[in-house]
Amino acid sequence: MEYYVAIGSIIGIHAMLGLSVYLVAISGQMSFGQQGFFALGAYLAGLSTALWGLHLLPALVLGVVVAAAVGLLVGFPALRVRGLYLAIATFGFGEIVRLAFLNVRYTRRIGDRVVGPNASEGFRHVRYIYDRGITPLEYLGIILLALVVVVILFYFLERSKLGAKLRAVEEDEVAASMIGINVTRVKVFGFTVAAGVAGLAGGLFIHYSSYIDHDMVALPLAIASVTYPIFGGLGSFVGPLLGAVALVGLTESLRTLHGAREFIYGALIILTMLFRPRGIVDEALVLRVKGWLPLRAARRPAPAP
Amino acid sequence: MSTVLLDGTEQLINGLMYGCFYALIGGGFTLLFGVLRRFNLAYGSTIMAGAYAGLIPVYLFNAPVLVLFVTTIVVSVLVGLLVEFCCFRFLRKGHELAPLMTTIGMLIVIDETIVYLTDAVGLKYPAPFGDESLALGPFLIRPDYLAILVVSVVSFSAIFYLLYRTRFGRAMRAVAERPDAAQILGVSVRHVNVLTFVLTSALAGIIGFFAAVSVGSARPEMAAWLTGKGLVVMVLGGLGSFPGAIVGGLALGVLEFEAVWFLGSSYRDILAFAILFLVLIVRPGGLLGTRTA
Amino acid sequence: MRRSLICGAAGLLAAFLLWPGWAVAFEGEGTVRIGGMWPLSGPASFFGKAAFGLASLAVDEINEAGGLVVGGKRVKLALYSQDEACVAEQGLAVVKRLATVDKVLFSLGPGCSSVAEPVFGTLQKKLDDRSDTGLQLLFFTDIATKFGLAKLSPWAFRNTPDEPGMYDFVVKYLKEKHPDFKTVMVSYESDFAHSAATWNIALKPALERHKHHQVVEVVDWRWLDNEFGAQVTRLRKANADIYFSLTHTPSTCPSLRELKRQRVRPKIVVGITSLAGTEVLQQCPDVAEGVIAPSNFAPITPRAKQVADKAWERYKADSNIHSVPAYENVHLMKGLIEKAGIKNTEESLLSDRRKVRDLLATVGTFQGVVGKITMRPEDDPVKPRDVDKDLLLVQIRSAKWDIFWVPDHLKQN
Repeated sequence: MEYYVAIGSIIGIHAMLGLSVYLVAISGQMSFGQQGFFALGAYLAGLSTALWGLHLLPALVLGVVVAAAVGLLVGFPALRVRGLYLAIATFGFGEIVRLAFLNVRYTRRIGDRVVGPNASEGFRHVRYIYDRGITPLEYLGIILLALVVVVILFYFLERSKLGAKLRAVEEDEVAASMIGINVTRVKVFGFTVAAGVAGLAGGLFIHYSSYIDHDMVALPLAIASVTYPIFGGLGSFVGPLLGAVALVGLTESLRTLHGAREFIYGALIILTMLFRPRGIVDEALVLRVKGWLPLRAARRPAPAP
Repeated sequence: MSTVLLDGTEQLINGLMYGCFYALIGGGFTLLFGVLRRFNLAYGSTIMAGAYAGLIPVYLFNAPVLVLFVTTIVVSVLVGLLVEFCCFRFLRKGHELAPLMTTIGMLIVIDETIVYLTDAVGLKYPAPFGDESLALGPFLIRPDYLAILVVSVVSFSAIFYLLYRTRFGRAMRAVAERPDAAQILGVSVRHVNVLTFVLTSALAGIIGFFAAVSVGSARPEMAAWLTGKGLVVMVLGGLGSFPGAIVGGLALGVLEFEAVWFLGSSYRDILAFAILFLVLIVRPGGLLGTRTA
Repeated sequence: MRRSLICGAAGLLAAFLLWPGWAVAFEGEGTVRIGGMWPLSGPASFFGKAAFGLASLAVDEINEAGGLVVGGKRVKLALYSQDEACVAEQGLAVVKRLATVDKVLFSLGPGCSSVAEPVFGTLQKKLDDRSDTGLQLLFFTDIATKFGLAKLSPWAFRNTPDEPGMYDFVVKYLKEKHPDFKTVMVSYESDFAHSAATWNIALKPALERHKHHQVVEVVDWRWLDNEFGAQVTRLRKANADIYFSLTHTPSTCPSLRELKRQRVRPKIVVGITSLAGTEVLQQCPDVAEGVIAPSNFAPITPRAKQVADKAWERYKADSNIHSVPAYENVHLMKGLIEKAGIKNTEESLLSDRRKVRDLLATVGTFQGVVGKITMRPEDDPVKPRDVDKDLLLVQIRSAKWDIFWVPDHLKQN
């Protein structure tokens, strides 16, 4: 049972990362730097509970706010560039954050523990949930609750004017600006919210794992977080959720195959993309599913597909 | 004061030589991207697969280094064609992100195969250029870096000749500029794509050989490192710009050496990425790039 | 369109069919289940597979000798090993799998310190405190060497090298044998916690304590770096007598080669503890010739040789400073399990774990493969639940690890 709780917790956290990349992706950009915001959220939220004695909720909020603020600051200059340039620029940002934490030493002695980010030795003793009698199952509930909040946010975002604007910017930036959309503002807004979501994932992760170091927010996490939405599909927020469930689940379920595990994992990604080049939940599937629900579709026509 | 200058010059020389190596990696990525308009994250794995495969004849028959070198190139080309076949050939047009994913999948497959076969332990690589640095005045010059310098000049000249002086080069550039128009004019886009893969994979073989020789071993972490450096160099110089890759590579090499010497290795990568970030903000198309997307 | 939809659905279905799996029925009768988590795939799999091999060998030996006696019955040991791949997220899932699906009595590993950190961090911190919801599973670690890990939880025990003690000895030894070697230069990997800690927590305080050596240069690089020219130039300019190369094999080999290229010839080169395995011999026996490393294991006694040969023969497992403890731990635990009076049923699992843990906490001194090993008590202020063991110095001679120094009581064997 607890094994499934653990997998569920990791899926929940990684799904948020996937949603974060997805939000940048639906405005036509690809970010390889969401792990930087994840790290910011994790370190800030961890510092808040372990060192400053805050409650979990304000700690998570602080992590989100700081990550989003940095997202806003980085977004303005970064979103001048596009496509692959942006992908590499954001990866550069993620690496800068990671390398900065590799050099940050800010510790205090609490009882017999030295608590706080300790450069390459990592950030230990973030034991808020375990010290306060929150069971892993309850914490999974907290993670899923946070995920539901994010999903509801995304649900309304996709149906709002702003969501339509984001999709319009993806379709054709020039056309979007010609019909009066402030392209930069829309993109930076998307990027800021995405950074906040990644920060939330980070805050939830450090409290789950009790520990974080620079190695955990390096290239593999960047690749994983980009894989979820592209694999799952960019047609709807269901895509990255599905991607996280399928891929994290696959990592665990292939466990019995030992050495062949990663091999099959990679081969399955290739095969899936060959058959469904826009991911499992692509735009066509979204339209089709909407067709199955005639009432909803009739009342609220889908914004620009 | 003069020692600072002397030290700075020594690092500058080393940085330029190592920069040639970066330029080669960036050049491979640039060629692929320039023609296909897609990026191939499995390129680093192609390089690594070649470097590992080159060791097989050495371990089996104690073959000379020349055989190793040739095997490296041949296997890289084969792996490159495999990547083309699995990750690009059957993808329908108009899906920019799909090749990103398929090549990530390929990267995982190649890496894991090598890790599985070797337990991730690095394999010793021969040192054909010896272990003695050459004294050049007050400076010590690594012989393998000197070889890299020569090889990269030769490779770049060959590629320039190919691009601008041959029919194939014209076809390649035509496909890069306007694939649809090239198709109408009778250029087989598929043909050009495959030949581009062959060309860049042969380059990958050369890179793999020198990457392993300069470290003294082939090891599974090569792929991620080469991919990272290649992408940074390509973006720094400007996407699809071949001269840009050369400038970007040399700039990154010098920057890294000077940063390690004067600031320490902790600042090397922070500085490199910060400068990349700034360059892109000031010139969103890279140093020598003209296109903005 | 329809076809691709079906393909997508089929792919998804396959993913879910393979979903984590079938909980294994608890067979309390015939076996005692013990666990192990090591990096069996990925970049650290060399160490993980070696420890897995040595642990399997110990389990084989016990079962071939008839198993162990629990509650008056003879039962066999069963090893459930899981791959943590040196990834924290996987470690966090696998630990729960061992605890609740494989239902093991205790677990060996983890291998990577970066996995041990979150795994130990989420174990119960206060025994008998019901409000502490950390996992209650005994770990007896072999590889993860990072200083202070066992302090994270009373459920974490380690049989790993004591690096502060080792480097204190090395410094003292060099001071006595070579009083004229005064200057020291150091290199370490700034992004590798183990390497950075060996410098900051082990070697640096030792040099300061013995007040004999003068540190003239300290350089650092990253553990997967490929270029060491600038740092080695600094070492060349420092030109010290003693060079501490506190780095792991992937950067040790190319950096030592660069030392050779730049004609830097320190009189003595001392490596990091993890160096004393076959990895360095495969990669650069030429430039590493003469390097000295502190270790806890070398095939110096007949028994040690026999274990090493058998592990290689059966499992192609390298016997080294990190893998042999897995063998020792299984053999020690066998005796403790027999003594603890466990019921070995699914219902008694939690109390069985606790009994074995409490017994391990009081074990004191036990016999290792090379010498005696002493478990530090729980209330030890510096390193509770860590061990003290015999230390030896080994040196690379003619492309093989050879004995450089052993304590007198081991020489008689």
